[in-house]
Amino acid sequence: MSAILTRDELALALGRTGEGDRAAFRRVYEATSAKLLGVTLRILADRQLAEDVLQDTYLTVWRKAGSFDASRASPITWLVTIARNRAIDRLRSGAAMRKSTPIDEAVNVIADDAPSPAQALETGDDVRRLNDCLGQLDDRTGGAIRTAFIEGVTYDALAVRENVPLGTMKSWIRRGLMRLRMCLES
Amino acid sequence: MTDPTDVGGMDEDQALAGELALRVLSPEDEAAARAREATDPAFAAHVEAWNERLGGLVEGIVSVEPSPWVWPRVEAGLTPPANDNSVVFWRRWAIGSTGLLAASVAAVVMLLAQPAPAPIAPAAPAPAVIRVATLTLESGAAAMTLAYDATSGELYLAPTNEMAGDTRVPHLWLVMPEGGVQLVGAIDGSTTSRHNLGQALFGPAGHANAVAVSMEAPGHTPAPDKPDGPVVAQGALQRL
Repeated sequence: MSAILTRDELALALGRTGEGDRAAFRRVYEATSAKLLGVTLRILADRQLAEDVLQDTYLTVWRKAGSFDASRASPITWLVTIARNRAIDRLRSGAAMRKSTPIDEAVNVIADDAPSPAQALETGDDVRRLNDCLGQLDDRTGGAIRTAFIEGVTYDALAVRENVPLGTMKSWIRRGLMRLRMCLES
Repeated sequence: MTDPTDVGGMDEDQALAGELALRVLSPEDEAAARAREATDPAFAAHVEAWNERLGGLVEGIVSVEPSPWVWPRVEAGLTPPANDNSVVFWRRWAIGSTGLLAASVAAVVMLLAQPAPAPIAPAAPAPAVIRVATLTLESGAAAMTLAYDATSGELYLAPTNEMAGDTRVPHLWLVMPEGGVQLVGAIDGSTTSRHNLGQALFGPAGHANAVAVSMEAPGHTPAPDKPDGPVVAQGALQRL
């Protein structure tokens, strides 16, 4: 039931969703729900919770699509931001009982090997550029930024994980973010 | 002493916006930054720009196909557009499809007066809630009777011989009170059958106010929200 949409097609469908077009909304869902479930599942590590958050996410998308501006945001990034923030909110609300090992297991068991429709949505150039710039950071910093994004963890948790003082972790990430910005805008 | 978090003359707002977008701040710091975002458009724009910059990290995440019940639950939560309802939908559809109708089954253009949906009892260990419908053709002849147990999801279909001999495949649809239709699936038009709707259709079937049958080409599955073949029969769902 996955449909592959180009970035422009998705932006158009999202725009129509903002006008109350249910068929367009359905196209948005079909093209992006697998990617967004990947995002929420990575953060929550529980399929039931991740799908609950996915449901909330699309209801938010339906309500907020009118504010999506294709000239300022990439449609998939706009959607991922909503899903990721909702999943992190749920994680930190304490509703999620994060277990110690399930992330890889959960993903391995249910991962869909088929090429993701959302892969067609990100322009390859943007992703390559981001990866190039992250690659210019030292490994610890680049790794910490990736982990923070993908797992939705705070400075505190990152510092514990890397076994460094909180201030050190903050310093790595803040400096890393600033270098990343300069690199992306150069 | 140097503050280890000092970004060396870099724009403090930019760093904070990046931290907020990345969601690494402590709950207290995050609440303060969110308050700033809500009241300071320049800062909010920084946060948005960071979301864009970091968005490509999603490429590192494996896609996972959601369970089939997620979409129906999303759809059930949508606020209905004010200018849409099922009667309008079907009237438009029936007019548009008239030319496609095959001689073997006459079109339904008769729209039954739809009774107000039966009040749904509050969720409780309720006894079986049986809903029934008689689907009729344009001629008024009954094409099928249907019974649905909203507590167990059991669906029972008893077609008459009106659809016998048609080479197309009948598909059953739910007509939702807020507008639009939801595909149940292909059905057997020649003999009685039992189905269990399962989780995906439980909610929609519980509050649909009518059912309909479209005739689809063999081997073709229509989109879940729009029949491709002609709609030949419909009937209001009523509580037994």
